[in-house]
Amino acid sequence: MRVAELEFDLDVFSGPFDLLLTLILREEVDLREVSLGEVVVSYLDHLESRGELDLEATTEFIVLIAALLELKSRLLLPGEELDELIELEPGEAAEELLARMLEARRYRSASEHLSLLLARAPAVRYREAPLPPALRRADLEDAPAGLWDPDALGRALAGLLAHPPRLDLSHVLVARVSVSERIAHLRRLLRKAAELRFEDAVAGADRMTVAVTLFALLELYKRGELSWDQDEPFGEITLRARPRTTVR
Amino acid sequence: MSELARTLEALLFLSSEPVSAVELAEATGVEAGEVSAALSELQEEFAPGRRGVLLREVAGGYTLASDPLAEDAARTLLGRPRHGVLTPAQLETLAIVAYLQPVSRPEIARIRGVNAESPVATLLDRGLISESGRSEFGAVLYRTTPLFLKIFDLGSLEDLPDPRRWDPTPEEEGELRDRLLAAGDARSGVAVE
Repeated sequence: MRVAELEFDLDVFSGPFDLLLTLILREEVDLREVSLGEVVVSYLDHLESRGELDLEATTEFIVLIAALLELKSRLLLPGEELDELIELEPGEAAEELLARMLEARRYRSASEHLSLLLARAPAVRYREAPLPPALRRADLEDAPAGLWDPDALGRALAGLLAHPPRLDLSHVLVARVSVSERIAHLRRLLRKAAELRFEDAVAGADRMTVAVTLFALLELYKRGELSWDQDEPFGEITLRARPRTTVR
Repeated sequence: MSELARTLEALLFLSSEPVSAVELAEATGVEAGEVSAALSELQEEFAPGRRGVLLREVAGGYTLASDPLAEDAARTLLGRPRHGVLTPAQLETLAIVAYLQPVSRPEIARIRGVNAESPVATLLDRGLISESGRSEFGAVLYRTTPLFLKIFDLGSLEDLPDPRRWDPTPEEEGELRDRLLAAGDARSGVAVE
């Protein structure tokens, strides 16, 4: 079965995969609304139910889903670089391209000249003297007596073959924090106050917790439970609870 | 041969890298004029066709080299060619390093429009370029080595021609610009006359 014919039953769409792709490309379905995670899970279910792996179809699926992921991330993130490129006037773009082409052409010609030099160079050889002993890392003549003893080799090998003692990691404390924990934490805070600063939500937390809380924030935003404002990069983030509308 | 000429011959025999006239004068403790006279004497002694060894001026100094006559036998004896074949990508990378040194890999990639990792690694391996410090952004910078000058039979980097000689004429450049602009307009959907 081809990937295009796969049937999906998602929150925002139900039907074959190629129809979903067409609708996304025509912007009739907003990619931001499509949970790509759901698509992947459905596909994995499909693979499991078939019990065999069609390498070609799976590759096709991975390529498609990767393209969708890239497209979606571009939609979600403000594309500063993209804006910059678009702002370039056609004339400027042509000049920039021309300058690059001329530069590349200059050194390509230079490489052809080098090739000619190489062909023209007389077939002479130069002396290749080895490094003086003082600069060499080791010299066989300097090796201590007994180094060539086969037992020494055996002992060295035995050392390599023995299992090293297990590393004791009991003193390392792995900080574990889950997205669902942080979601619950944010929900709790938002029940108490309709508006709060992200800084307060992670007061005293370590970096890992701050990062996971940010994920929780994105997840809650995606679910429509909150909205946020940030006036400038690295600025303060203000969270606001949104009235819950159950979309089921 | 004069004593000085014989001494210089011995010094060149011992050195694996080209030795400049200044270094030869310092080592022998004589005036530069005397060294250059002794060198001409040596040049004559080693004139092509007289010996199996040639006196060559390359990579900023003097060095002894085998006569091309011996090349076939030398290849059999030593079991390897004088230098391997360089691919167009390696030659292009080498040209950029030769002209713009010290230059970083990102800069090479920018000019060629493709990743330069593999040609740079090969050129390093073969000793044609070497690392030479870091740029202000922390990228490793590369330079050509004396081996590069030897293999390409160059006295110094100044012997490379001005690369601008390969630039197109203003007319050709104008034509290229017009074609680019037309292509750009066609892409953005603007009708061109």
